[in-house]
Amino acid sequence: MIAEKIKIVAYYTFKEILKSKVLLNVFFMGLGLMLVTYVATEFTYGVPHRITLDVGLGVLSLSSLAISLFLGVTLLSKEIDSRTVYMVVARPVPRYAFIMGKVIGLMGIQVINVILLTLTTFIITIILGGEFTPLIFWTIGFILLESLLLLLVVVMISLLANTILSTLLSIIILLLGHSIKDAQNLTLVKTQPFLQKLLDFYHFVLPGFYKFNLKDYVIYKASVPSSYLFATLSYGTIYSLFLCTIIIFLFNKKNLD
Amino acid sequence: MIKFHNVTKIFKSDLLTQPFVALNDVTFDIPDGSMVGFLGANGAGKTTSLKIIMDFIRPTSGEVLFSESLGKNKMDIFKNIGFLPERPYFYPTLTGYDFLKFMGQLSGLDQKTIETEITRWAPIFKIDYALKRELKTYSKGMLQRVGFMTTILHHPKIIILDEPLSGLDPIGRKELKDVIIQVHKEGKTVFFSSHIVPDIEEICDRVIFLKEGKLVYDGSVSSLMKKAKVQDYFISAIVPQEIEFKTNLKKCTQLPDQLKKFVVSENDRHSLITELISNGCNIVSVEMQKVSLEEIFYNSKGDL
Ligand SMILES: Nc1ncnc2c1ncn2[C@@H]1O[C@H](COP(=O)(O)OP(=O)(O)OP(=O)(O)O)[C@@H](O)[C@H]1O
Ligand SMILES: [Mg+2]
Repeated sequence: MIAEKIKIVAYYTFKEILKSKVLLNVFFMGLGLMLVTYVATEFTYGVPHRITLDVGLGVLSLSSLAISLFLGVTLLSKEIDSRTVYMVVARPVPRYAFIMGKVIGLMGIQVINVILLTLTTFIITIILGGEFTPLIFWTIGFILLESLLLLLVVVMISLLANTILSTLLSIIILLLGHSIKDAQNLTLVKTQPFLQKLLDFYHFVLPGFYKFNLKDYVIYKASVPSSYLFATLSYGTIYSLFLCTIIIFLFNKKNLD
Repeated sequence: MIKFHNVTKIFKSDLLTQPFVALNDVTFDIPDGSMVGFLGANGAGKTTSLKIIMDFIRPTSGEVLFSESLGKNKMDIFKNIGFLPERPYFYPTLTGYDFLKFMGQLSGLDQKTIETEITRWAPIFKIDYALKRELKTYSKGMLQRVGFMTTILHHPKIIILDEPLSGLDPIGRKELKDVIIQVHKEGKTVFFSSHIVPDIEEICDRVIFLKEGKLVYDGSVSSLMKKAKVQDYFISAIVPQEIEFKTNLKKCTQLPDQLKKFVVSENDRHSLITELISNGCNIVSVEMQKVSLEEIFYNSKGDL
């Protein structure tokens, strides 16, 4: 019953974003970049298919994060500002179902984006004589998980702050989430117990986005212990559920005026 | 059907601005099967009240009670409500048809019922020709029509409309008023806000009037009309010569072509007409002054 409502909201969210042609921009950007690499490989001494894979995965992860960030920040606030949300929550649809539908709809866009860019990368890599390890699927899955996590962070912040501030804050959290591990390993930090505590705390509370980055392993065909893969998968899942709970709580409390 | 019970709403935007009392201990109820008009000037608190009924915002104190006939929990109740927000804005890239379908599905209708209902209502709302187009190409009046249509597809027991007639041309107003009357005849309770009194006077049997966040009147339209004072008459006649009238004239205005317009009280109208005739004047018209709700309301000092 409620699942049905979530599905309906997700479907129309997906449809609306698809029609707004945002995806087309991302797709062309990706394609353009792939083309540039292809040309670049002709002039470099590196291993061409490795470069393709490198750039392909880079574009994939960047575009997913960009979708989460820029579409996520207005995912709910646009509905509230333009009062379209009234049309939905005046129906027998609980507010949490509305949010879940919006998030799932946007993730549907992410999946399409990932499929398109992955296929492009695969085809070019194979043409250039490269091959893949199964780890590539984990890599892509983790890119999706990372963008889901970022999306939820963005949506949560957007319920508390305006669009510009939300975008900035989310970018900062994303960047910190990627550099926290390196920061913890700095000698400066290691010699300063206070700083160390601070970073440990940050690491404990805010999302460690660096965990989801498997790109280097794929490109250099290194192996990753499966315990790490499953630990990261659970980390991402639990963190996402945690964020969903907060978002639902905030949105339920929110005055829609 | 819906009872608005001692509701107060105070807006506190931030620490610097004064808290603002948008609704002050307002109580009214919407009886089953009635057609209730919700009147008030701009900023009186109509939209705020409707948002509280729809649980978009929460009251500072007080509560909204729904009768058992609407349902026991929020989901059941909302299945039986059709709501149209003020100045509705819809997903611009959806077509009118898709939007209606979206709303129908959310109310739990199956594909077939949605089709039937759209086929039934679209011609009544005169929007059938545009349903294949994207909503961003719609005019204000067309959006209002589609929006209104979404409120009745799922056979709700009550429809709540926030200024459904605003932004429409005179013909459009007439058409939508006819739809409201038709929907009401089918047994639905109707509650709609407006600041245009004649619209409400014309179709509602009951009126609730808010003034600056306070309830000023809640009752039938006719008993309110009875409160109106004794009525005046307008009499116009062609008066070729100067006449010294014995009748007590409230007002006398000279119009072009020897035409004079008199205002007299109800009791004096016969004597004036007799006097005019005996002086050989040509009577052009006799009219009762219509006291509209508009005057009753906007002249009232909160003492209805
Ligand atoms: N979110 C808010 N914060 C502060 N004040 C508000 C808020 N929403 C409404 N108000 C104030 O509450 C009062 C009532 O507003 P409301 O929108 O209910 O009026 P209305 O009767 O619907 O008027 P209109 O006929 O113009 O639509 C107004 O003075 C408005 O400024
Ligand atoms: Mg209003």
